[in-house]
Amino acid sequence: MANPIKPDNSVVTTCAYCGVGCGFKAETYEGRVVRMIPWKEGKANHGHSCIKGRFAFDYYISPERVLTPLIRTTIDEPWRSVGWPEAIEYAAKGLRRVQEKFGRTSVGAVSSSRCTNEEIFLTQKFARAVLGNNNIDNCARICHSPTQFGLSATVGWGAASQHFDSILQADVIMVVGANPTEGHPVFGSLMKRRIRQGAKLIVLDPRQTESVKSPHLKADVHLPLRPGTNVAVLDSISHVVVRENLYAEDFIRARCEWHEFENWAALVGSDQYAPEVIGPLAGIDPQDIRKAARLYAGGPNSAIYYGLGVTEHSQGSTGVMCLGNLALACGMLGREGVGVNPLRGQGNVQGGSCLGSWPHVFSGYRFVTDDAVRASFEKDWGVTLDSEPGLRLPNMFDAALTGHFRGMYIMGEDPVQSDPNQNHIVEAMRRMEFVILHDLFLNETSKYAHVFLPGSSSLEKDGTFTSAERRVNRVRKVVEPMAGYQDWEIVVMLMNAMGYPAEYSNAGEILDEIARLSPAYQGLSFALLDRVGSAQWPCNESAPEGTEVLHTKSFPRANGRGTFMLTEYVPTAERTSDRFPLLLTTGRILTQYNVGTQTRRTPNTRWHSEDRLEISREDAEARGIRDGEWVQLTSRFGTTKLRAQFSTRVNAGVVYTTFHHAKSRVNRVTSDLSDWATNCPEYKVTAVEVTRVEQASETATAKRKKQKALEMA
Amino acid sequence: MWAELRELRDGIDTGTPPRDGPNVTLTVDGVEVSVPAGTSIMLAAAKAGRSVPKLCATDMLEAFGSCRVCLVEIEGRSGFPASCTSLVADSMVVRTQSDDLQRLRKGVIELYLSDFPSGDIPGGWSEFHTVLDQVGVKTHPYAPIDNHMDAPIDSSNPYFLFDPAKCIVCSRCVRACADIQGTFALTIDGRGFRSKVAAGMDETFFESPCVSCGACVQTCPTQALIEKSLFVGGYSRG
Repeated sequence: MANPIKPDNSVVTTCAYCGVGCGFKAETYEGRVVRMIPWKEGKANHGHSCIKGRFAFDYYISPERVLTPLIRTTIDEPWRSVGWPEAIEYAAKGLRRVQEKFGRTSVGAVSSSRCTNEEIFLTQKFARAVLGNNNIDNCARICHSPTQFGLSATVGWGAASQHFDSILQADVIMVVGANPTEGHPVFGSLMKRRIRQGAKLIVLDPRQTESVKSPHLKADVHLPLRPGTNVAVLDSISHVVVRENLYAEDFIRARCEWHEFENWAALVGSDQYAPEVIGPLAGIDPQDIRKAARLYAGGPNSAIYYGLGVTEHSQGSTGVMCLGNLALACGMLGREGVGVNPLRGQGNVQGGSCLGSWPHVFSGYRFVTDDAVRASFEKDWGVTLDSEPGLRLPNMFDAALTGHFRGMYIMGEDPVQSDPNQNHIVEAMRRMEFVILHDLFLNETSKYAHVFLPGSSSLEKDGTFTSAERRVNRVRKVVEPMAGYQDWEIVVMLMNAMGYPAEYSNAGEILDEIARLSPAYQGLSFALLDRVGSAQWPCNESAPEGTEVLHTKSFPRANGRGTFMLTEYVPTAERTSDRFPLLLTTGRILTQYNVGTQTRRTPNTRWHSEDRLEISREDAEARGIRDGEWVQLTSRFGTTKLRAQFSTRVNAGVVYTTFHHAKSRVNRVTSDLSDWATNCPEYKVTAVEVTRVEQASETATAKRKKQKALEMA
Repeated sequence: MWAELRELRDGIDTGTPPRDGPNVTLTVDGVEVSVPAGTSIMLAAAKAGRSVPKLCATDMLEAFGSCRVCLVEIEGRSGFPASCTSLVADSMVVRTQSDDLQRLRKGVIELYLSDFPSGDIPGGWSEFHTVLDQVGVKTHPYAPIDNHMDAPIDSSNPYFLFDPAKCIVCSRCVRACADIQGTFALTIDGRGFRSKVAAGMDETFFESPCVSCGACVQTCPTQALIEKSLFVGGYSRG
């Protein structure tokens, strides 16, 4: 008999991978998840899915999951398995000890975009109300912090202006530094559907991604700009808009300040941004810049979708502002089919941003320095809060090296693998007195931790995620937490152990607290989400079921108008030289997810078992490198070894790799430069040299070990 | 304006995509129902609570009209049009059940059954099995001459397998790959009895440009494409 087992139960929940936020029915049989079926009523996916959400869920039962808390006195000791009460008490005492020795601000916390809104909110409450300082940051620091800054500055809110379906009304789609078919596959499919219906496509990307050319899809314009020239090229597109009078004067006069437009137009309209000047600088045809500008401005509906290729630069925030400026100038905001939309990498980057996991703002982006705002939180939380903004994640590591920062609670993050300039982070981690890591698996960072608290996967807990389209989706517990507790319960235990009484009988009560204290989330509750499925913020009295399109009448700025930021191009200090003549840029692949914690523990590795360095044949042959050979990748910051792969996707002068495997140590090579405004690392531009090596030393060692083992057996 | 996506409902397959537009009113098996112009008779019938048996139709894909199970009668018209590809019209009178229709559906289903692993007919829970119940046919009168019982199973993909013996070549997987996912990895290769679902340039699923989105598995009405996780101890053809 070959009839399949029939699942005996199902729970509707939200995928925990990328920021699309697909709805799934998690089907179980005898208490075990046997398949994930895309939910037809999921408002982001309408019954579609990608390989990660649909199939790559077995990481949750990986034998490598840690299921009991671990503690140790020093990082050189082996871990000791203990019960929850002991671990929590040890963790609480450890952090307090550091604070007693080195002061209130010597400790901090980091939350993750893989956590639920409720966990993120609780973690920042933990830092502020329990640790008593604002040393709280989240991993959006290293991906979309410039979105928050750049979009707030121009259009008022650091969030997507549209809902995903809006793309089906777009006539021109401009994809900037994003690779939707790999990074956000379900949205990528929707985009491809719209292009097959006849929409035009502009792609700005150093690499020839699948969006540029694939079956039944060809970009009308591809600008394969040199990494690091985003702002120059976007300013040049604006230059054409201004000089060829393609801007929407009526929209600008009605929705912006005309004199601000004039100031901006004078800057980008100046000769230095002419396509004929910028084209050669960025390595692209000036006529293509003109073509892109004319297409975008011509619309009638043009929509921008962008990713980390915009944000992860020393001018990341400026790049985001360029996009805001361009949309305002062409009147491409405030209705269906247009807008500026960040594609978020992790399931809850938007939530991480919204819910105050930042050292300078509370939930809803309200400043900790604002007395009235602080007072409202003090009233609700019953403690006095620090008015001094705290340390950002990279600054925590810097301060660890100077001895001012000594302890950390890290929730669902692996900064040692994912943050730039790994050598620097490792040194900082070694200097810490006390580190608590809360995660599913031991990882690179756990090597430097004193407490390991075993977390729960998204299949094991209740809460909400906020997707890239501002949609708050319900996460529902499908199976019991394998290590005993849902993550939010663990934070609550820690709060209580440190002397701050906290009591929630379910995650919905945390969402109620979020709603009470955050204007955009005001109308949200588990009850609403259970009734309507999901809701896009702002969700409040005037929009009781949420808001699909932002900025329809005004912009959420003091004067209600959008503004043009001056976006002068300043080349990054990271430049090629004789020693480092190539530019490295990094990205993702469909089958793996970020640092691979989850997907590397699934059969997805069959498609992508190692990171490879994509290099043009021209650059490879000049260095005597053959396809598939091991190469050494060296930058001013560090070195690593990868296998080379000839590729026509990158132009000569540019090399590219993914960063999904810890053993590749790609972030040993990436630079420590960061966005001028937000410290978002410049992952996308590093000057490197590539040389041929015999074999990766790690592999050689592993081989010797294996040989030895065989001989002994 | 996005009815095709937004009016899909979990657990309900209306057979063809919902439409927007001004309503027209028709009668299905004596039940009056109003649906937007451009809607299929199949969807109207579903809305009237008179679900028509179907195999190649699903509301996430445009109608294709290949399985010939969803036939209906329309007053004033000759023949037995497929309800998935026939659109509603004002004052139309449709019948979804009659002796003629039952005889035709039975004939079609028997042909499908003649090329389906007999051991997998009892106890199954696929859409195909639901249709068998709906039409009330579980056996066929044909001798076991032509079938696909010796066609190799493609289990190259780590997550799902394809058993051609259970495939009825309805093209739902091919259309899902093209229209929903936009990858165009699948096609129907060959003609007539020899026509078969092929991945890429007649490669295995794993070697083909398939991106494992699962849309084909999701839409397959016979579980010829199915998740490996639903088989304890591996798959064997019934």
